[in-house]
Amino acid sequence: MRKWAWLLVLALAACQPKHGEPLKAQVRFVPEHPSVGKAEVCIEVDPRVEFTRVTVVGDMTHPGMIPVKAEAHPAGPGLWRVDAFDFNMRGDWVLTITAYDKSGKKYTKEVRLTVP
Amino acid sequence: MSAPDLLRIPLLGRFLRWRYSRFVLQLPLLLIALLALYDGFFGRQLAPKNFATVSVWLHYRGFLVLAIAVFGNLFCAACPMLLVRGPTRFVKRFLPQFRWPRRLRNKYFVIVLTIFYLFAYEYWDLWASPWLTAWLIIGYFGAAFLVDALFPEGTFCKYVCPLGNFNFTLSTVSPTQITARDPQVCLSCEGKYCVNGRVETEGGRKTAREADPSEGVHYPGCETRLYVPQIQTNMDCTLCMNCLRACPYDNVALKLRFPGLEWLKARYRLDVVWLGVLLFFAGFMNALGMVPAYYQIAEDLSRLLGTRNEAILLIVIYALWIGLGGGITLLVTTLADRLSGVRQSPWKAVRYWGAGFFPLAFAMWAGHYAFHFLTGWATIVPVTQQALSNLGLPMGDPDWTLAALVPENWLYPLQVVILYIGLLAASYVLFGRARQRDHFLAGGVVFVYFFLLVALALWVLAQPMEMRGTLLLPPGSR
Ligand code: SF4
Ligand code: SF4
Ligand SMILES: [Cu+2]
Repeated sequence: MRKWAWLLVLALAACQPKHGEPLKAQVRFVPEHPSVGKAEVCIEVDPRVEFTRVTVVGDMTHPGMIPVKAEAHPAGPGLWRVDAFDFNMRGDWVLTITAYDKSGKKYTKEVRLTVP
Repeated sequence: MSAPDLLRIPLLGRFLRWRYSRFVLQLPLLLIALLALYDGFFGRQLAPKNFATVSVWLHYRGFLVLAIAVFGNLFCAACPMLLVRGPTRFVKRFLPQFRWPRRLRNKYFVIVLTIFYLFAYEYWDLWASPWLTAWLIIGYFGAAFLVDALFPEGTFCKYVCPLGNFNFTLSTVSPTQITARDPQVCLSCEGKYCVNGRVETEGGRKTAREADPSEGVHYPGCETRLYVPQIQTNMDCTLCMNCLRACPYDNVALKLRFPGLEWLKARYRLDVVWLGVLLFFAGFMNALGMVPAYYQIAEDLSRLLGTRNEAILLIVIYALWIGLGGGITLLVTTLADRLSGVRQSPWKAVRYWGAGFFPLAFAMWAGHYAFHFLTGWATIVPVTQQALSNLGLPMGDPDWTLAALVPENWLYPLQVVILYIGLLAASYVLFGRARQRDHFLAGGVVFVYFFLLVALALWVLAQPMEMRGTLLLPPGSR
């Protein structure tokens, strides 16, 4: 099992999305461990980089599920927030945070969590 | 026997008779498999946004069930795995050839492989991993190559392939079947070419065994060794149309039929019936594995056994469920036998009444797949766009906001309808068989059992879906 996991990690590392630099950010939720329903998503980015837009897309890990999309709004220096992100189903979620800077360049970060 | 023969439809008949028709059907699936491999290995490892996971777990499974319901076992006909045939024919010259062991010439080996596959599906969460899905495709092609290189043609399909046997079993509900146009012609047919193969040489017509591999024009016979005038069921038929091309008397038909006749008349072997029973209970488990109750069971079992080892828990759950299903089936069918005044071994009882499991198994899988397929079917568009644009083709920006095919609140009623149709078809089998014995009540006993199973299945399908990879949550997080 561990060997599998390792290979998977390697494959994951090799297969990051081609477009978009990695985004350095802290992602928190309110409540801290969201359960099924709405939750707040806070994204803390480097305040020195000026971002113009931040989006959050949530996918389930099962093929065929329609993604949930949300726009974050600025909430202070280096802070972006989605007030009510809709975790509409129990299970494993993958959030893709995408931030755009002034020149339109894309930065992305992936966060995985389980919603019980 | 005057049911319409689909091979009489002008273009369709011509096409299916053509030597390369199967290749034409296989080619698109081969390309899809290649794209799945590419995206599975190199694309983003996110199941709903990867071509490998979406095509295999959503569309392949969805279309397969649909095709079986409205036509027949088209996916075996179009199976790209059999394209290994070209290479294996070459390597066969250098390899020793074996015969498939007589003791394995039944469905028990397939049953074991199917159980292992189901375990792997849950344990490694194959549906959640494009990478593992790609490996699954490779493994499948590799296994087909190996078996086909060492054993006679058709061995893989008939005795090894879990997917093909899934198709075979479910296609007992299909509205079409290969039959002889005129059984009299077959009686006087000297070579039984549909099963033995036909070779046209200068010295006359021969069967494949009589002829030299290098002489004449070859029309291979049925690889799964079905003899056309005796076919009663779609079991083991890959719709490859070899029989059609091999028969020199144009005596092969693909007839429209009422599947109920097969369930009533066919005398299924015990191993075949067990496969049907297994597929019902496996389909149930596959759906149960996606609802909160299942995770609750896992938590309770984990506490009871004092282990958090997922493999052990899965094995225990599967063994209990499948063992229980098999055991109760044995009991109920034996009871039905006794009630109808028949005293024979319990295995014969399973063979007699177990035919009812075929429509039930179909309904179970169809009901569950319908949910996923109808919710997510449109995602194939952006996923293909993305995979192709990763390959460097100009495809435009994928749009992920595609909606479900039907409104969400239709899904459950639709599943209910599918399972009721399955139950209805199953009761047709049960009461039909009961009437053959002049004992209506006996069918009722098995019917009550089926009714309870369907009720349980509907309860599972009514639960909110939970798509989780880990069986147990980390302690303290719930
Ligand atoms: S189907 Fe054709 S080849 Fe087969 S036994 Fe009948 S006549 Fe002969
Ligand atoms: S040759 Fe055999 S498997 Fe192929 S279509 Fe005919 S009966 Fe079915
Ligand atoms: Cu499901």
